[in-house]
Amino acid sequence: MSAARLEALASILCRYSLEVQPGDVVRVHGPASEAPFFVAVTRELTRLGAHPMLRPTLPSVEAAILSMGSDEQLTTVTELDRLESEVPDKTLTIWADANTRYLSAVAPDRQALWSRSRRSLSDRFFERVASGEIRWCGVALPTRGFAQDAGMSFDAFEEFVFGACHVDDRDPVAFWRGQSARQAEVIERLARISELRIVAADTDLVVDVAGRTWLNADGRENFPDGEVYTSPRHELTRGHISFSFDATYNGREFGGVRLWFEDGRVVRHEASRGREFLEGMLDMDDGSRYLGEVAFGMNDEIQQSTRNVAFDEKIGGTAHVALGASFPEAGGTNRSGLHWDIVCDLRSGGEVYGDGELIARDGRFL
Amino acid sequence: MSDRRVESLARVICEYSLRVEPGQLMLIEAPALAEPLVLEIVTRALEMGALPRVRVAAEGTQLAFLSEAAEEQLTTLLPSAMPEMAAIDLRVAIHAAWNTRELSGVDPAKVAAVREARAPLMELYMRRSAAKELRWCVTAYPCEAFAQDADMSLAAYEDFVYRAGWLHLPDPVAAWRGFAERLRAIADRLSGVRTLRVLAEDTDLSVGVAGRTWVPCNGERNFPDGEVFTGPIETETTGDVRFSFPAIFSGREVEDVRLRFDGGRVVRSEAAAGQELLRQMLAIDEGASILGEFAIGTNYGVQGFSKQILFDEKIGGTCHMAVGAGYPETGSTNHSGLHWDMVCDLRSGGEIHADGELIYRDGRFLPEFAPDLSPPQG
Repeated sequence: MSAARLEALASILCRYSLEVQPGDVVRVHGPASEAPFFVAVTRELTRLGAHPMLRPTLPSVEAAILSMGSDEQLTTVTELDRLESEVPDKTLTIWADANTRYLSAVAPDRQALWSRSRRSLSDRFFERVASGEIRWCGVALPTRGFAQDAGMSFDAFEEFVFGACHVDDRDPVAFWRGQSARQAEVIERLARISELRIVAADTDLVVDVAGRTWLNADGRENFPDGEVYTSPRHELTRGHISFSFDATYNGREFGGVRLWFEDGRVVRHEASRGREFLEGMLDMDDGSRYLGEVAFGMNDEIQQSTRNVAFDEKIGGTAHVALGASFPEAGGTNRSGLHWDIVCDLRSGGEVYGDGELIARDGRFL
Repeated sequence: MSDRRVESLARVICEYSLRVEPGQLMLIEAPALAEPLVLEIVTRALEMGALPRVRVAAEGTQLAFLSEAAEEQLTTLLPSAMPEMAAIDLRVAIHAAWNTRELSGVDPAKVAAVREARAPLMELYMRRSAAKELRWCVTAYPCEAFAQDADMSLAAYEDFVYRAGWLHLPDPVAAWRGFAERLRAIADRLSGVRTLRVLAEDTDLSVGVAGRTWVPCNGERNFPDGEVFTGPIETETTGDVRFSFPAIFSGREVEDVRLRFDGGRVVRSEAAAGQELLRQMLAIDEGASILGEFAIGTNYGVQGFSKQILFDEKIGGTCHMAVGAGYPETGSTNHSGLHWDMVCDLRSGGEIHADGELIYRDGRFLPEFAPDLSPPQG
């Protein structure tokens, strides 16, 4: 990856996405293998007068703790863990798996136990983000592992990622402000709707969004970005949805996922790959069988699935729902250690109805 | 390809150096390139019931920060730093580098400012350590940069490092336990001494140590280890010393250092190369020109100079002294932002006299003074 691109990306993230101020403590965490990006972000943060709190991670260590840890070792939240989420004013998460299957040897229930025990931290984190007390942004970088899952060369994947980020645009921030304005128009229409019905191949799902706030994902919390989203009234979802794309999540692969909802709750599930993992996630906690999010992807630079939800959920012309944690700032009240996005392609014959009226066809809002 | 010696190193650190107990919160700090050792320590700590947490550094970030940081940023501790230090039960610091000259272009004043800002953190660290609330160990992971400094291939350097820790022996923990006993006997003998006199080429130095405590370093806080040290009486060091090996400060080398002491203080300093840095550092504060440490290296598994102080100060048959801060546990009262170790080889004709009596010659304590410290052969 060229240094110039990494610097440009770091600059957009620090100045536009996180709006870093002098004196901010900014935590940056992600795989240590992305050292050049850590360097670019460190430079930019330091120039802006912030205090970088650098937390490069080793996936091998994460896998060792999850696979070897006893119940007590997995569930103990230490003072160090607490400080990691309490201290920063801003947090940048780097998604960049060198190998997306690095957790494949971990039993699903161990992973679920770990996530569940950190609920108190993640709940508190989401609340602080919602209240504006702290800012958070997650950025997806090109890696060999992601390229391999996407069935692409690294070079081609890198072009794809930076294109989706609009980093090479003459004025990337201007692009994202424009995208924000386009999404705001869609939100204006969605805000008047109580009940959304999403119809597509093997999918007919009804979610209730009455009184909920739609949010504009315009590059401030995810990068690349481009979606509008809210948290539905989680006890009212009904119908079924099928995941249009194979995907990897938390270091493992799954495919052919279908879910059926009654009174908001997943009552039946299917998966052609990763079934055991799916079940571990569904049974993680009280909130993990309910939807925490419904959203529409609006990034037209992203057209093909890469088996990576960070990109797939942004595909212009798709919808996605997430099992688990909702967004308090959207009015969501579902709490969970899980937040797992399921993407549904609407581009070939998909339809969206708002209170019975057709509002989008083939992935385009009318 | 995994190296069984890495696993062995992790085992010795967890079982012998730190004596890990169930439920203890352990922080492991390392550059990311030390991943194989980090992973083995995490594995061993998990098996022993501890709660390991890892803090690695990514290549280049330290330089990026130091290059761009303003005074205020250099001197601000993260708000998490003190509470972390108060919370942990165990700390492992692993030394390794991508390039030991990474910071050579950074103003030494910036490095010193960061160090100074960390003083309260170090104070808490030392206080908890002295109160036995916190156990810590500093070790090294063999890497290309350290190998290059030692004029070795990586494979040869790995042999050097693991032999220095006696990890080639069938039972390293037993070997270190035996060594610890013999070293304790030497520290006990030295504690009766009032004045030590060191004689070597261009060296005739008297160091007052009456009433000071000698600390045996048996592999608990450094690994590998092997030295006995104390804090000299601040006003009594007198005479000349010439250091056989280059003195290294933050990646910079000062060659052939010669110091003259009078009344405890350096009154003349000379170096064949790096004299400017030497004089600058000796003048950074009041305590920087006074000895904070005098020590004798006792690891006879370490023979060659490798430009890593963790190993060099342990070389069996050398002594070293540090200008600057002393360790309070020795009785030293010298304070400074500096602690700079310099090593003097005593293996060819060097002598140490204790209150006029010869106790050490050609790099070895005389048998009538102390037990043999050679590690078992294996």
